Amino acid sequence: MDYPKLAELVPAEKLGPLSDQLLNFILTTKNDGKMPTKLANAMLYKMQHGAIKSASGVAVLLEAAVTLEPEKTMAALGEMQLAQLADALKGGM
Amino acid sequence: MAPLKFGIEFVPKEPYWKLAAYAIQAENMGFDNLWVTDHFGNRNVYVTLAAAAIFTNKITFGTGVTNPWMVNPVITAQAIATLNELAPGRVVLGMGAGDKTTLEAVGIEMGKPLAAVKEAIEMFRKLTAGEKVAFQGEVFKAAGAKFNFKPANKIPVYVGAQGPKMLEMAGKIGDGVLINASHPSDIEFAVKASNEGAKQAGKQPSDLDITAYTSFSVNEDPKKAIKAATPVVAFIVAGSPAPVLEKHKIDVAKADELRAALKVGDFPKALAAVTPEMLEAFSISGTPDMCIEKISTLQKIGISQFVVGSPIGTNVKNSIDLIGSKIIPHFK
Repeated sequence: MDYPKLAELVPAEKLGPLSDQLLNFILTTKNDGKMPTKLANAMLYKMQHGAIKSASGVAVLLEAAVTLEPEKTMAALGEMQLAQLADALKGGM
Repeated sequence: MAPLKFGIEFVPKEPYWKLAAYAIQAENMGFDNLWVTDHFGNRNVYVTLAAAAIFTNKITFGTGVTNPWMVNPVITAQAIATLNELAPGRVVLGMGAGDKTTLEAVGIEMGKPLAAVKEAIEMFRKLTAGEKVAFQGEVFKAAGAKFNFKPANKIPVYVGAQGPKMLEMAGKIGDGVLINASHPSDIEFAVKASNEGAKQAGKQPSDLDITAYTSFSVNEDPKKAIKAATPVVAFIVAGSPAPVLEKHKIDVAKADELRAALKVGDFPKALAAVTPEMLEAFSISGTPDMCIEKISTLQKIGISQFVVGSPIGTNVKNSIDLIGSKIIPHFK
């Protein structure tokens, strides 16, 4: 899936709240072992450089969250009224 | 009064990337120091610290704490000196006597803890200063060990201490002391003892970074904060001798009951045996305002750094945000 393209579907005002929510799923997941190292490092790089709430940061978080916690992620997208993004993700799964 | 520094403790039970993420968040929220525990059952402390070094920019970090026994102090010095190349001037060594139960699990006998810590620190200081180490100590021997490289800066040493002799020695030889306690009476005792050691070594109390390394739990809902602190306090009580419990007016029979439950793995019973007195003696837990009040008391006693140790809160990410937004600004 093209996560940077999918992140473009998130309105600017929802990038911050979505970033917080996805990061929470990622940090509290019990599915640690499913996290690819390259993706983990990309996430840390975005965090370190203050870009985790940007579209490119959310793209990385989306990929990680879908990998680790797909059900929670889809539910959160529904709650945040990001139906277009949720549909696009479902289509790619 | 000088601004209080804030440190945070991480236990590498989780993968490197989670701890590095928390480290970045802690740095962004105003923490000054990051301490990572060293236990062979968890991820390696130096690899974890290396990840923190790479993904942070200004926070200071170190072992919280390592011990002189598990690996030769030469290797400890080598690891810390190499970390200092990843993050120049941001690395410290935290060294304590170690935990008897842990060391026995790998067949190491913990003899002469004072001498071991003192000699290990002496070796560390010489090696990281580019000097040759040749001495016949009570515990360690070296016959000309020397690094092929030299750190660009002096690396501070913090001594983890609880007992009066270790505290006094920490004041004498340490750049900082890590006091593993949460209650004001324990901190007061430790501050006095370490300041006495500093005085004997001709140092000013301000030369020493006196650090309260606490068991901490914060939440806007005090019940949730206490619930998170309870398991940690249960283990502290189980490991505390009767005189320590009596000093804090803790019912020794209740502590025995808790210990027995933990021994057979009956965690619900052990947690139910934790009393408010135990929580008060061995943790700082509550709402941000309740925590501010308790931290202020410790600052008045003379600490210069406050470490939020395990469990930190019900959700680590949210707790770091809460501490960074509501507690740290109060002390800056």
